[in-house]
Amino acid sequence: MTEIKLKLKKLPKFPLEAESITPDNFAGKTLDAIKKLPLYHGNENTVIGDYFSVSGKSGNVNNTKIVIDGDLSNVKRIGEQMSGGEIIINGNVGMHVGNNMSGGKILVNGNADDWAGAMLQGGELEIIGDAGHYVGAAYRGNWQGMKNGVIKVKGKVGNESMLWARSSKPANRWPMLYCGSAGPFLGTHNHGGTIVVEGDCDRCAGADQARGIIVIKGKVSRKLPSFKRIGEVKEIDLPNGEKITGKFIEYSGDHSVSKESTGKLYIAA
Amino acid sequence: MSLNNLILLTGRTINQGVALEGGKTTKENVRAAAICTFDKEDFKKLDCLVGTPVKVITDYGEVMVYSTISEEGPHKGIIFIPLGPWANQVVNPDTQSCGTPTYKGMKAKVEVVKNGNVLDALDLIKTLKVA
Amino acid sequence: MVERKLRTISDVICPFCGTLCDDLEVDVDIKEETIVEIRNGCQIGTKKFFSSNPSGHRYTKPRIKENDSFKEVSWDEAFDKAAEILISAKRPLLYGFSSTECEAQSKGVELAELLGGILDNTASVCHGPSLLAIQDVGAPMATLGDFKNRADLVIFWGSNPVHAHPRHLGRYSEFVRGYFRKDGRNDRFIVVVDPRNTHTAQIADLFIQIKPSEDYELLNAIRAMVRGVELDEKEISGVPMEKIKELVNILKTCNFGVIFFGMGLTQSLAHHRNIDAAISLVRELNDHTKFLLMPMRGHYNVTGANIVFAWNTGYAYSIDFSKGYPRYNPGEFSSVDLLMRDEIDASLIVASDPASNFPAASVKNLFKHPLISIEPHETPTSANADINFPAAIAGIECEGTAYRMDSVPIRLRKVKDAPGKCLSDKEILEKLIEKIKEKKGE
Repeated sequence: MTEIKLKLKKLPKFPLEAESITPDNFAGKTLDAIKKLPLYHGNENTVIGDYFSVSGKSGNVNNTKIVIDGDLSNVKRIGEQMSGGEIIINGNVGMHVGNNMSGGKILVNGNADDWAGAMLQGGELEIIGDAGHYVGAAYRGNWQGMKNGVIKVKGKVGNESMLWARSSKPANRWPMLYCGSAGPFLGTHNHGGTIVVEGDCDRCAGADQARGIIVIKGKVSRKLPSFKRIGEVKEIDLPNGEKITGKFIEYSGDHSVSKESTGKLYIAA
Repeated sequence: MSLNNLILLTGRTINQGVALEGGKTTKENVRAAAICTFDKEDFKKLDCLVGTPVKVITDYGEVMVYSTISEEGPHKGIIFIPLGPWANQVVNPDTQSCGTPTYKGMKAKVEVVKNGNVLDALDLIKTLKVA
Repeated sequence: MVERKLRTISDVICPFCGTLCDDLEVDVDIKEETIVEIRNGCQIGTKKFFSSNPSGHRYTKPRIKENDSFKEVSWDEAFDKAAEILISAKRPLLYGFSSTECEAQSKGVELAELLGGILDNTASVCHGPSLLAIQDVGAPMATLGDFKNRADLVIFWGSNPVHAHPRHLGRYSEFVRGYFRKDGRNDRFIVVVDPRNTHTAQIADLFIQIKPSEDYELLNAIRAMVRGVELDEKEISGVPMEKIKELVNILKTCNFGVIFFGMGLTQSLAHHRNIDAAISLVRELNDHTKFLLMPMRGHYNVTGANIVFAWNTGYAYSIDFSKGYPRYNPGEFSSVDLLMRDEIDASLIVASDPASNFPAASVKNLFKHPLISIEPHETPTSANADINFPAAIAGIECEGTAYRMDSVPIRLRKVKDAPGKCLSDKEILEKLIEKIKEKKGE
């Protein structure tokens, strides 16, 4: 794998819109060409070279690895629509990291802001710290959000993560979210997404869930009244073939969407 | 005297509406919007007269307003400040990334401050201007 | 006593709340050009008309702040200074627009695009969540006349029209006699859901006192029960199960129901998810009977602001032009979030008072940067602005179009001339655009 190193030279005053930082855009380009790729800073047009020092060498898309150092908490849209390769971010990162990506891998060694992995179509996004609101969510007005791929968050995810996630059995697409703990409205309007929460979860998990699986290994602050208790289970099969063992109470729902809901919510007993 | 574990709501009242249209910088606006209304039973516990200044404290700030008994009770455990500059000193600015701050439902506590000074709108907002 | 010569204007539209009452009568003193009497208006609307008369807190000349005190200047000087501030800004915020007419709002869009700035209206702090939910799940709505003539079940959820929309009850929803509701109040069943026993609740047939910030759970339970699901809970959101069953029965057996919802749903935790659940409930109730809903819009033309922004840019509020084309994302480009992250470097406030109405922490950041206000009166915002443009009050001192809460456009009337050198919001924005184009050499 060929590696390109970016290092933030100065902190931007306003958010830097960096959708140009993807393996797809860097592949096959010289360092000079990469330095000239556009970045938006407020309403002024700048280039990567203005804010980052660039070194290394790029290969083809799947062979390109981008390593970014510095405090990127005000740098948005890194890895937008990437289809392959790898991005490693050493530090916190701003909004929309890895949104709409369809392949490859992003690793964030820090916290991510809102909309991390929004509308994910494939690939893997791993966040070592916490993530903001709307992790893997659908953008406003979209009723098909995350369709495939995996998001792993060690820490907490914020409100409305995995909003409008949608799986497809014939196409064998199973969107997955693993997280340490979760904020309110986890998996709202879920249509087949799978969510595993290692710790606690705030109110209204699985609101409006039509189908899909939510597993919460900790406590829930307030379960929705429209979920009905089925019984206790010791083993849960996830659609990707994984098995989770432990003592769980199984609920079906959300029954506010339909009387015979196939959605499942498991909460540790 | 103080009360803990209250929930603060904010919203429109007709007096506040009339006062703000009549002039946001007037004394009338202070009388209409720099007030905190209590449930009757809660107010008894405060052990003070209607109109005594109280300090309302939430996780997001504190503000001095006049106390009064709610006409829209009973609402035990709930206090209400009409929308306006005073309420906005203590509301939750977090929008949970949806754009709208959480103006209603903050945990609050209240302390009676007999000689408290309730600022008018301009003086109150001036405190937010950092020189 | 000296006899006054009066001019009476009838069918005047009230520019206060989203109800947009269109039956006011205004007497204007011909010599003084002041408002003397208003008939038919509510307390608040009446006060708004009176406050257009010259007073100590009405601006009549453009002003610029120098060394902490205001200096009266010519229009030209004020435009020049404002244009300089806006051109040099990299991330200017244009906010307000809900208390002015549609033509001015349209100019606001033009200016935001020209500057590559951020454009937002007051929906961002009130009914923005309703718009988000409507984009997610749609909304079954109708015009207010439908509710007046047909509704036999009226629900006010998190809304207190006695205080906020004083004539709504009398004109459209509660006491009014309609074509199929000849007996007015007696032909309607009124339900109020609120954490406080509000004045609207005190005149309702059924009051459901709910715990604050727990509306979502109640809506969720009602939806499941409307579908015939038996729930194994004793009480939900502080409401006993029997009462919810009673409500569900009322919902299913009415002929024509409507939910009017307000800030109680949009400004408490869960924001747009509350509205999402309310809309879904209404959709499900249409399996049993006819049911609709309607947001109780606050500012008289906030609906217009949403509509004008949407037909110009595709989006109703929270619009970022920094890349030259409009992008939309509340939470990212909405005013309070931008201010909380201290992401702007200048602001233009049109017919609004964010210093009073935004949370204190965000106002602090608003004051850090140059602030230009277009505003008829002294407000905490305009008093702390760097430049004041005195505006004529739309709907009183100039004509224009406004949209009622049910998206019906109504032509506002002019009843009197503006005092002093006031220009309309539209004229001010037009001249500002001209000045900026001239300076940019376009």
